[in-house]
Amino acid sequence: MVAGGLLSGLVLGLLSGLSAPLPVRWRYALIVAVAVLGLLREVGLVPIRLPQNARQVPQDVLQRSLRRGALQFGFEMGTGVRTYVSASAPYVLAVALLLGGQRLHVAMLAGIGFGLGRASTPLARRAAGTGDRWDADLRVRIRTITVTAGVVIVAALGLLAARQL
Amino acid sequence: MTRTLPGHARAALRRAGDPLVPLVLLAVGALAAAAYGHVLTWAVIGGLAGYTLSGSV
Repeated sequence: MVAGGLLSGLVLGLLSGLSAPLPVRWRYALIVAVAVLGLLREVGLVPIRLPQNARQVPQDVLQRSLRRGALQFGFEMGTGVRTYVSASAPYVLAVALLLGGQRLHVAMLAGIGFGLGRASTPLARRAAGTGDRWDADLRVRIRTITVTAGVVIVAALGLLAARQL
Repeated sequence: MTRTLPGHARAALRRAGDPLVPLVLLAVGALAAAAYGHVLTWAVIGGLAGYTLSGSV
């Protein structure tokens, strides 16, 4: 998952040069605006259908070779573009990286963080040791998770934007 | 022989394994890093974005 996230971060970092002609203030204002839009989508105030690769990693990748299949499964999940993307935050992150014009290593750090964030789901589930009960708890809390993350991302990007103004 | 944990220890472990725990850690980390303008802000925001996909496979 970390390798997949790293690849996505690298690609976004390389593409971020395209936004360089825009003044920094405009870019950060756009980033915060997109983050707010993402939050409004999460709370259901703005119905936006976002593009996604509406598929799951096929089960047969695990049947051919467990180790290789697990690596492929994790890599595809980590990229964030090979499977369902049900929340707004990954899109906000992608736009922020494209518009932010950070150095390449910063985009790569964000990608690594994304992969680790995805990996923390199975890790937390395993650490809890409660299996199906953890899944049930997650189903109850997933809206809290996506909305809270949206609020925090707006605040964090707002703080970063304030430093650029 | 299997030893069972006392009730309060089991409850504490269950709370520590709650799906909200990673969210809280990442949220505090993102806000703290952003307040200092630290480069790791982007990594933690990435982590938050990744964790929001917990329900998706």
